[in-house]
Amino acid sequence: MLTNRILVLCAWAGPATVVVAMIGWLIAGVLPVPLGSESSVEAVVSFYSHDTRVIAGLVISTIGVSLVFPLIAVIAVFMVRMEGRTPILAFLQLITGAATGVCLLLPLLLMTTIAFRPDRSPELTMTLNDIAWLLFITPIAPFIIQNVAIGVAILNDKRQTLPRWVGYVNFWIAFSFIPDPLAFFFHSGPFAWRGIFIFWLALTTYSVFLVVMGLTLRKAIRESADLDVSAVAAAAA
Amino acid sequence: MTHPQVRVDPDLPEFLWDSDGVEAAPPPARRPAKARDGHTPGEAGLWIFILGDMTLFAAILIVFLWERRSDPVVFEESAHQLIQPIGAANTLVLVLSSYLVVRAVVAHRAGRYPRARRLVAAAVSCAAVFAGLKAFEYYSAISSGHTPSSGTFFTFYFVLTGLHLLHVIVGTALLLVWQAMLKRRRSWTGSQKVAEGIASYWHMVDLLWVAIFTLVYLVSAE
Repeated sequence: MLTNRILVLCAWAGPATVVVAMIGWLIAGVLPVPLGSESSVEAVVSFYSHDTRVIAGLVISTIGVSLVFPLIAVIAVFMVRMEGRTPILAFLQLITGAATGVCLLLPLLLMTTIAFRPDRSPELTMTLNDIAWLLFITPIAPFIIQNVAIGVAILNDKRQTLPRWVGYVNFWIAFSFIPDPLAFFFHSGPFAWRGIFIFWLALTTYSVFLVVMGLTLRKAIRESADLDVSAVAAAAA
Repeated sequence: MTHPQVRVDPDLPEFLWDSDGVEAAPPPARRPAKARDGHTPGEAGLWIFILGDMTLFAAILIVFLWERRSDPVVFEESAHQLIQPIGAANTLVLVLSSYLVVRAVVAHRAGRYPRARRLVAAAVSCAAVFAGLKAFEYYSAISSGHTPSSGTFFTFYFVLTGLHLLHVIVGTALLLVWQAMLKRRRSWTGSQKVAEGIASYWHMVDLLWVAIFTLVYLVSAE
């Protein structure tokens, strides 16, 4: 069935988000060691001075990050099945998921813009880099609401369309994002934007989210396709 | 029994189909329950959350101890600025609340709803006492000039206790959910997963505090 193939493709977009975005960030130099709030003006200016490589990597990462949108759509399809007549959480998930995607895209586009004219005054580059990184790290509330909406929908679903542990994993991911606004308060250490409890923790758990949701949805799509086939066979008999 | 007439329109999503306002009975579970030996409190998935949560706190505590190695004198002085009796009192308050929750599980299982409600209410008051003492502790720390940005020790102190306080607030909300279930006299068989899950979460909140109190208040002051 074509619909099923599209659903499977959308589910695979979750893990693909991680892979494509990581490739882009590795090319751009955002990974393995990103710029930090304690980085010197020289370090920041020299990062953006490799403009072609940085721009190419960041453009790839914007494509990667946008692959989250198909995943959000397929999550919504399954949440509508879970909730039945009044799929409020499915709508909430759609809205907050879209907002999260935009919050990830904008800072990457801003970083690309910084690399567009690397010979500007260093202070301006520094300020723009601060804006880009703080926008990237701190707007966590939409994603936390999205996680909680998914978690509550899964735990309330009597049919168990998705396994219940996926709901609990979503709550844990929501919790792991809570320290992120601390990036505003610290310029160095584990709670600055480059610290392990901010950038690295968020990167890890966001990847867990994309992979777990993608793979469990793919399994659920296959199971519901099996059900459809057996229903048709039963009707024919 | 009459079945509601549902006008099925395959072009529209299921939730837009026109029925007579009667909720359809949920179809049977798609995943058959697996027979298990032994009993997992709450359910297996809950423990992914609990262990994940504790791992995160453990990671923060390990980094805290790591930072302490580089400056044990400042950490010792800072730890002495905390009001240890309040920390100790809060430990006792949470241990007491955990005990009350255990008794509430037993009472709920035995179908003694009013008793279980009183025990859960007592646990909620313990949480309120904890939060009150914590607020006083924050007030006295901040008024004597110790803010999250005054040194590594206080950064970790505020982050750890703040994240923990957030867990206390979420746990209190969950205890109130349980309280509401007891008020509606929800039977143990129908509510075991939820009640045990909430109780397990509350024990985790207690255990995390014991770890934080030991490492931040006591070990650092040595």
